[in-house]
Amino acid sequence: MSKFIERPRYLCSMGGAVATLKALPKAISIIHAAAGCGGNFGNALNGATGYLGSGYCAGQALPSSNVYEKDIVFGGEERLEEQIANTLEIVDGDLYVVVTGCMVDIIGDDAVAVANRFKDSGKPVLAVETGGFKGNSFKGYDLVLGKLFRDFVAQQPVKDKQTVNIFGLVPIQDVFWKGNLNILKALLNKLGFKANTFFGEGETIDNLKQAGAASLNIVVSDVYGIGPAQIFEETHDVPYVVVPLPLGPSSTEEFLRQVGAALKVDHTLVDQVIAEEKAHYYGYVERLGDVYNDLDFQRYSVIVADANYGPALTKFVADDLGWLPELVVITDILSDEEQALVADRFRGFASGIAPKVVFDTDTSNVSKHFSAAWPRNNNARYFDSFSPAFVLGSSLDREFAESLGAAHLSVTYPISNRVVLDRTYLGYDGSLRLIEDIFGLLVGSR
Amino acid sequence: MDYISEKAPPVREERLRACNAYGGPSDHLVEKSKKGCLNGIKRKFSQTQGCQLNLSLAIINTIRDAVVIVHGPVGCGGGSLAQAGVNKGFKQLRDSGSRGLLWVNTNLGENEVINGGEANLREAILYAEKEFRPSAIVIVNSCVPAIIGDDVDSVVEQAQKEVTARIVPVHCEGFKTKIQASAYDAVYHGILRNLLENRQPELRTEEDELELLKEKYQASRTINVLNVSSMSRIDEYELVRLLKALDLNLNILPCYAHPHDFYKATEAALNVSICATHDDYFVEHLKEKYHIPFILRTIPIGVKYTNRWIMDIAKFFGIEEAAQRFIDQEVKQLEEALAPYRKLFKGKRVLIGGGEIRVVANAELLTYLGLEVIGLRAYHYDQFGDEMLGEQEVVQRIPFNVATGQPFEQANLNANLKPDLYMGHVGTNVWAAKQGIPVLPLFHQSQLFLGYTGVFEVARRLARILRNPSFNQKLGANVKLPYYESWYEQDAFAYIDEGNIQA
Repeated sequence: MSKFIERPRYLCSMGGAVATLKALPKAISIIHAAAGCGGNFGNALNGATGYLGSGYCAGQALPSSNVYEKDIVFGGEERLEEQIANTLEIVDGDLYVVVTGCMVDIIGDDAVAVANRFKDSGKPVLAVETGGFKGNSFKGYDLVLGKLFRDFVAQQPVKDKQTVNIFGLVPIQDVFWKGNLNILKALLNKLGFKANTFFGEGETIDNLKQAGAASLNIVVSDVYGIGPAQIFEETHDVPYVVVPLPLGPSSTEEFLRQVGAALKVDHTLVDQVIAEEKAHYYGYVERLGDVYNDLDFQRYSVIVADANYGPALTKFVADDLGWLPELVVITDILSDEEQALVADRFRGFASGIAPKVVFDTDTSNVSKHFSAAWPRNNNARYFDSFSPAFVLGSSLDREFAESLGAAHLSVTYPISNRVVLDRTYLGYDGSLRLIEDIFGLLVGSR
Repeated sequence: MDYISEKAPPVREERLRACNAYGGPSDHLVEKSKKGCLNGIKRKFSQTQGCQLNLSLAIINTIRDAVVIVHGPVGCGGGSLAQAGVNKGFKQLRDSGSRGLLWVNTNLGENEVINGGEANLREAILYAEKEFRPSAIVIVNSCVPAIIGDDVDSVVEQAQKEVTARIVPVHCEGFKTKIQASAYDAVYHGILRNLLENRQPELRTEEDELELLKEKYQASRTINVLNVSSMSRIDEYELVRLLKALDLNLNILPCYAHPHDFYKATEAALNVSICATHDDYFVEHLKEKYHIPFILRTIPIGVKYTNRWIMDIAKFFGIEEAAQRFIDQEVKQLEEALAPYRKLFKGKRVLIGGGEIRVVANAELLTYLGLEVIGLRAYHYDQFGDEMLGEQEVVQRIPFNVATGQPFEQANLNANLKPDLYMGHVGTNVWAAKQGIPVLPLFHQSQLFLGYTGVFEVARRLARILRNPSFNQKLGANVKLPYYESWYEQDAFAYIDEGNIQA
């Protein structure tokens, strides 16, 4: 049985599916669901995502069968067929994907069969069952990717050794996805490879269509994109490797070494790339040697994040910024096995820092875990307080930060108090942006 | 009207024969509406809208000292994620000690779809009580529990014996209606059944006859003004100003009210709505149950309708003369202030979209300011629009599009009518912006729109926006809407199917 969630930081599987398709160039979602599902997503995928906007054909433009009581009683397939046919007439897309909501899944509408009738007549139409009760946004991402890998990516028996695919970074749920994908591509490029990310700048639906020719799939998550990677391997005979999310110079170095090893890149090239990038990175960070030490910029910290960002942010603040992350709350819904994989990422930090890591979906519990992790002052005159402190989390965690008297930066979904365009926090360049944003807050009142 | 003994209110298709698909001249719309033959028109292509549950949250999320429980799969109510940041600030404008938005989702998964979700709901209620000790726990019920047969009311009945917070179930299952505004009835239904009934009379330590008389007098001069979540605190101040001038006191409900405030509502002399679409269900029931008369006729937007709104209230209290003096003085000052603006707007053509009452009132306002209204779009349409739409001569022959969202029809209208300005509701503005058209938002929760000062503020903002529309112009030149060119060559209402009309 599932438990209620207090202020969940994700939508349902259909919401995640719609978000994923919103991020895919010129892909059109056709939702087969009640009229409100898409409207609800429209709000969550704009105002809570650094103001991503309505996109090309999402927000209120999202084609939707808007089934209501009568369709639920008599079945909604006819209505869906009409909706698909008319969407093809009006909306200019490269790929049309029907995603289904709870109600039509429960009554057993066969959306896949309806979509196949269009597919058989040569129209680029697919359908995925994504009823919201199947899981959260991350599940929706996996369902859509799995479907695309199985039924849309073309069979390519001949592989291109110099091309890889990267996934596991969940667009929109990672609010910095677009800038982050640019960085991932650039890192692969430096190693001599071309990377498809499917959702990145300058990519088209063809990059996805031809993705079967890649020699390797690189998954930058311990839990997301793994299922689709397995489907990809079965369907297209492309192996996959799981690597850490390259946030911060230490993780990025690890990323480059692991990817380099998997792709059998000459060490000297990997060493050279790392050396150049570190020179670039420290060329800037060097400037902060003054202010960091003059104003004492070391901070205690709490990190509230998803399974991808949690370990990556923590390692960055511990091993690169020299901070003291004492508590990490991972807010995703994870199985025991998945929790173990994520927890493993917190082991062996070079700094020797080992924060307390908890898995909890409920927003109010963050402060309870904090109370358990750090004693409250019971009127002691001399007390080792949690100060100075910094909270990295979502905009939902601002109140918690205020309760600690800590600075706060929204880095994980939902983010309603920042505008995010092509900002990235990955790779060496992204680490510089993150440092600018964090230390920018510390000097903000000067 | 008395549906209060029912667990859930009827939807608006049934109760008001409301429609959300129409395209044609305004006068035909009014004529058809009066004959009751709009109900049942469909679209063969549709875009997403919003549902009762989304719109219920627009009110419920504002209630102070309440916890919201969304009974559904984890995505339902996710739109609140975008509201959580600003919600606290808006609540604190009413009470500086207010907490921010708190909600719990019952996270119904595959297992609950098979075995029922009542246990999740019960646990969520007990958690909300224990964790937050709120004055009210408001449950919005989504589609899934309705189809799997969860008995929400029984869970509530049992849990109410165990918690001190008033539990308010709201039956707003999205699939039940295409008319999103049914949400207002669903919310008011929950409030009427659970926040007004079983009231405890206030205990007094000492009965003072003079005090009681004073209170009675105050109550006889107190009106409930029913606000909407799309207005600002400054809008409320303007309404307070207008009615204070007539020596009347206000209770402002339901948005940003405290659950206990609803008890007081039954003591007022009069209920005054600013939007019939929003409030008819509530005021009809307050009349039926508590014998409080109501005024539901118009919205205080623009001079004509602000005058009418004030005069209707004045008539009730028999203070028309004083009201007329006040109005004359207000209008005179406003006219002077508007003089420099009118010439800026002369001949500017505008398309307006949003809620039925609000767009029709804004048509009058913008006409008054000198613009030419060339098209209207309303989320839905019902009898409450007939008087205001029917009496504005200049809009009788212009296209009226009834559509909840449906930006493809809006894009077609904008492409063909080529307005100089689009005035629209949140979520629809971007599509006009991408066509290069300057946009004036129809409402804004931090700006003033209502009353006389609202007219001036709208004029001032409009002048500002028209002064430099470069942002949208550049956007229009560089981005494309998702529709084929051929769509703009078709009739904007080509996908509206009148074949199924239930006369």
